[in-house]
Amino acid sequence: MDLKLAIFRPLLKQAMEKHGHGAALGFELTKVGRGEIEMTFPYKEEVVGNPITGVIHGGVIVSLLDTACGSAAITTLTSPSITPTMDLRLDYMHPAEPRQPIYISAKVYRNSSNVIFCRGSAWQDDPENPIAHCVATFMKVDSPSISFGNVIRRRLNRLVRGDKAYEREADK
Amino acid sequence: MSEQLKALRADLLKARVECSPQQLLDLIPYSSFIGAEAKIEAGEVLYWLDRRSSNIGNPSLPAIHGGVIGGFLELSAGIEILYTLDVESIPKVVDFSLDYLRPGRYKTIYANCTVLRQGKKLVNVTATAWQDNPETPIATARCHFLIC
Repeated sequence: MDLKLAIFRPLLKQAMEKHGHGAALGFELTKVGRGEIEMTFPYKEEVVGNPITGVIHGGVIVSLLDTACGSAAITTLTSPSITPTMDLRLDYMHPAEPRQPIYISAKVYRNSSNVIFCRGSAWQDDPENPIAHCVATFMKVDSPSISFGNVIRRRLNRLVRGDKAYEREADK
Repeated sequence: MSEQLKALRADLLKARVECSPQQLLDLIPYSSFIGAEAKIEAGEVLYWLDRRSSNIGNPSLPAIHGGVIGGFLELSAGIEILYTLDVESIPKVVDFSLDYLRPGRYKTIYANCTVLRQGKKLVNVTATAWQDNPETPIATARCHFLIC
């Protein structure tokens, strides 16, 4: 059993599902493995891209696949580093069926010393007939600032100083 | 032609006549979900996305979600087609390619788009996003849309 991953799994789920844009979209991470992610996104009226057909906007698929591929990339890390996205390329094979959930899967297919290569797919009825497919690359950047101790210290600071200080810091 | 389609065409025409790309954004629910806005500046459409907590990706930096930057650029590219070309329905995206150049900090993102080629069926659009200075873009995208 992968102990590190067992500890990391709930943290990743919490970070992706409960904060910022992830919380706004309302998807769920259904599988977190080493270099492997599965997600489910329920249909949402607010993210429609074509008001006549009710098909969701392609931008949502970008966010879902970016999140899935990014999460898959993070799970392959062994030391505190961050994995900024270098690029993301999406092909839209056919429009999503309105009012149906979308399933996402992402997999790391090459993990080199500096770059993580990832593939992702979005489908509804049949994984073999996806609505979109993507490839994404992520940079590996060593970052002591995201080590466990430092993250906890920053969170405590933020709690003490409150949200206003948080926004001021963002403006710098 | 369905009533809905007729109404959409009337809306497209009205937005172009009144030089208001914002009216086009208002037609698409996803725009208000992320908070995208648009106006005419120096004869071009300027798109922007004011910061909001529901667009944050990494809460500890904080940074704008990469997917939001991508979604915003794809949305802008689609609106650019609706506004500058004589199309009668919402274009369908075929592919989308995005390069992230700098992290998107928790502040307003601006974008502009250029239609590089318009064919009978296919349109190629590029979109660039920046925050402080257009000379230091945070992301660039290019996409193909079907307009038939």
